Amino acid sequence: MDWKTDPARSLPPWRQVVEAALDAVASGELESGDKLPSVRGMAAQALVNHNTAARAYRELTRLGVVRSESGRGVFVTEEGPRLAREQRRAATLTALVRSFEEALRAGHPAEALLALLREERKRSA
Amino acid sequence: MKKKMKILQVEGLSKAFGRREVLSDVSLEVPDDSITVILGSNGAGKSTLLRCVLGLVKPSSGTVRVLGKNPLKEPRAVLEATGFVPDHPDAYGWMTAEDLFYFLGAQYPNWSAERAVRLCEKLSVPMDRSFDAMSRGEAAKVNLAAALIPAPRLLLLDEPFARLAPPVREEVLSVFVEEAPLPGGAALLATHDLEVAARVADRVLMLEGGRIVHDARVDELIEAHTEEAQLTATLRELYPHVAAEERREVRCAS
Repeated sequence: MDWKTDPARSLPPWRQVVEAALDAVASGELESGDKLPSVRGMAAQALVNHNTAARAYRELTRLGVVRSESGRGVFVTEEGPRLAREQRRAATLTALVRSFEEALRAGHPAEALLALLREERKRSA
Repeated sequence: MKKKMKILQVEGLSKAFGRREVLSDVSLEVPDDSITVILGSNGAGKSTLLRCVLGLVKPSSGTVRVLGKNPLKEPRAVLEATGFVPDHPDAYGWMTAEDLFYFLGAQYPNWSAERAVRLCEKLSVPMDRSFDAMSRGEAAKVNLAAALIPAPRLLLLDEPFARLAPPVREEVLSVFVEEAPLPGGAALLATHDLEVAARVADRVLMLEGGRIVHDARVDELIEAHTEEAQLTATLRELYPHVAAEERREVRCAS
């Protein structure tokens, strides 16, 4: 698992760690009950300050995707995979809607955009 | 929330060498559990500031307190509480890591052979090669290990990642963020590398011509500027001089 963040990306480093974890759990790379690195271990792998890693874990805990068990470590919860997929779906949908609005403002006809979507779906099917 | 303890307090610090003023009315506080980065181009006064904190340089005016202690009056206590990674090895060329550790072990009551073994393994420190025969990266690893082994409350680092080859730089950076700040401690790191600042800093202080011209918490910078922009770019915009120097160094290294 490559946790390294990229400070040149537009997403703040702690969000990058959250996204990487959500991706890993949503895709099944990390499963329910799998252990994540400790906060310091995550800091070392993501190359961020440990407070940044801790902030990412707080967010993942708030989302219900991970749970920390004192003394044992941080684990993907039972509900983690479903919640991570929902999070990823919601986030990608928001991004899609935003791109759609942008494309409409730029003057693409809605019909053309829908046709593009249908084509894309055929291609990936 | 628990009030954070001040690991380091600097107030109104000025230092002149002859008529040249290198630091001018510098004040800063470093709370525990934090990493503060001092950004500045070469000659901005970063090294002099760190040396004043260590008590190696006597300020012209102003005060320094490390855990409430004056480094000029209680040098022993300040030394024991502080780990220092210099910008170039200050060990003798004939010394090996083992020699250096033997020497430092006698000075630090908290020196731990167990921590030494763990850190040297983690950093793959060459134990029996002399500093003269080490690469820059190897020397940087020995210096970082040496500073971390006694578990100091205050870790001071002067350009610890400068001029290292990218894979070694990443390795050293990774061990640094895993280990620092030590529990109940803090780190103060001087650099002109904005990417390092973007990765490790809780707080960024910009030193220019011996003065602190900007002081920002990184989470606030993120809230204020970076939902859409990038953190490194934001820092570059805020600190154009440093960015120019970073570019010069990249040109020199390539």
